[in-house]
Amino acid sequence: MSRGSGGGYDRHITIFSPEGRLFQVEYAFKAVKAAGVTSIGVRGKDSVCVVTQKKVPDKLLDPSSITHLFAVTKYLGLVATGTTADARTLVQQARNEAAEFRHKYGYEMPADTLARWIADKSQVYTQHAYMRPLGVVAMVLGIDDEVGPQLFKCDPAGHFFGHKATSAGLKEQEAINFLEKKMKNDPAFTYEETVQTAISALQSVLQEDLKATEIEVGVVVKGNPIFRALSTDEIDEHLTAISERD
Amino acid sequence: MGDSQYSFSLTTFSPSGKLVQIEHALTAVGSGQTSLGIKAANGVVIATEKKLPSILVDEASVQKIQILTPNIGVVYSGMGPDSRVLVRKSRKQAEQYHRLYKEAIPVTQLVRETAAVMQEFTQSGGVRPFGVSLLVAGFDDKGPQLYQVDPSGSYFSWKASAMGKNVSNAKTFLEKRYTDDMELDDAVHTAILTLKEGFEGQISGKNIEIGIIGADKQFRVLTPAEIEDYLQEVE
Repeated sequence: MSRGSGGGYDRHITIFSPEGRLFQVEYAFKAVKAAGVTSIGVRGKDSVCVVTQKKVPDKLLDPSSITHLFAVTKYLGLVATGTTADARTLVQQARNEAAEFRHKYGYEMPADTLARWIADKSQVYTQHAYMRPLGVVAMVLGIDDEVGPQLFKCDPAGHFFGHKATSAGLKEQEAINFLEKKMKNDPAFTYEETVQTAISALQSVLQEDLKATEIEVGVVVKGNPIFRALSTDEIDEHLTAISERD
Repeated sequence: MGDSQYSFSLTTFSPSGKLVQIEHALTAVGSGQTSLGIKAANGVVIATEKKLPSILVDEASVQKIQILTPNIGVVYSGMGPDSRVLVRKSRKQAEQYHRLYKEAIPVTQLVRETAAVMQEFTQSGGVRPFGVSLLVAGFDDKGPQLYQVDPSGSYFSWKASAMGKNVSNAKTFLEKRYTDDMELDDAVHTAILTLKEGFEGQISGKNIEIGIIGADKQFRVLTPAEIEDYLQEVE
């Protein structure tokens, strides 16, 4: 009789289960949620904005050392939601890859190429037993010379898609429901609307008003396509604008 | 194949002589989105559902049907990330053939080499089989051809075939509708009708993909507008 479950190893390494599933990949998705942080990305007409929670679990920690927002190059941002250690190794490799690309081909690595590279690396971990999948969902943002603002999301399974708006982490599904309603008719958000949609989406799913020190906001805008993190003052301005609007 | 630390295969025989990892891989294919291919007298058409996880996904960023060489295209059912690996390897193999022989690679050769890669991953150390079945459509000196390659690495030439969730209904439908003297346009209509059979929701140019290759030997993916035209004709 054929043994169903691969000797019980189908839960430990990335081999198929009898239902054709990869349990290790599914568990990696759970690890992303277990980090307890939610991130949101919104693509506007000429800008992209990402917002992520900044949870400082201990007052003695130096808050400036806690971040999920990374600049892969001057022009490409990456939000890594999930296990911090896995996030750091992914960012390190991505930075290396983007720099080599720039050196080898003479032009900046586009957002979709970086996203594809991350996704292809993640796929290798789902197929080779010697490395486990990373417990990270990566959102890549940048302004592409040819098609404009880009927002990509890459997951532990190796999938990647371009998004008009998306979310990752603990409250991923609630955020996506909120965003689907907002983006239903393909609105072309201005920079302010993009940032405020992202921040208010996070506030809505967390069901609390956020302080500027509790979130990180990263933006990239067409006129000046350098990826940058907003300062606490700038975040405060947007938060005020949102509460006045409501 | 694969710089693996594992020196032993993860796909091993069960007491009844089956390779269960391959069977599980086929199950993964069977839960993937439906895709199909039809070989006409003067060309080949391949098509697939394109169901995206949310309306927030930019459907223009997703293309499931891929071109391998100017005269060979491929579609998959199963795990998208695995298919990207195979597409990349096949493209490279086609290019290496061209570099050596200064000729376009024949369809059978490319299919054989792709299948060989898939077989390696059922036997090499520390890797699992690919969770995809491929439908390769091409047109070369031997005429229009359609091949299906499975996770085991076995491949067959088909007049028409389907894979994924709705495979049995689709194949029954195709068996009834298929004729040897079909023209490419008829084949496209039949492909659309077959997809429509198992389609949940409203079919449109944005949630299916169609690739065709005709006597001009140029594989191309239809635009959503062109698909809408065909859909109108089918109504």
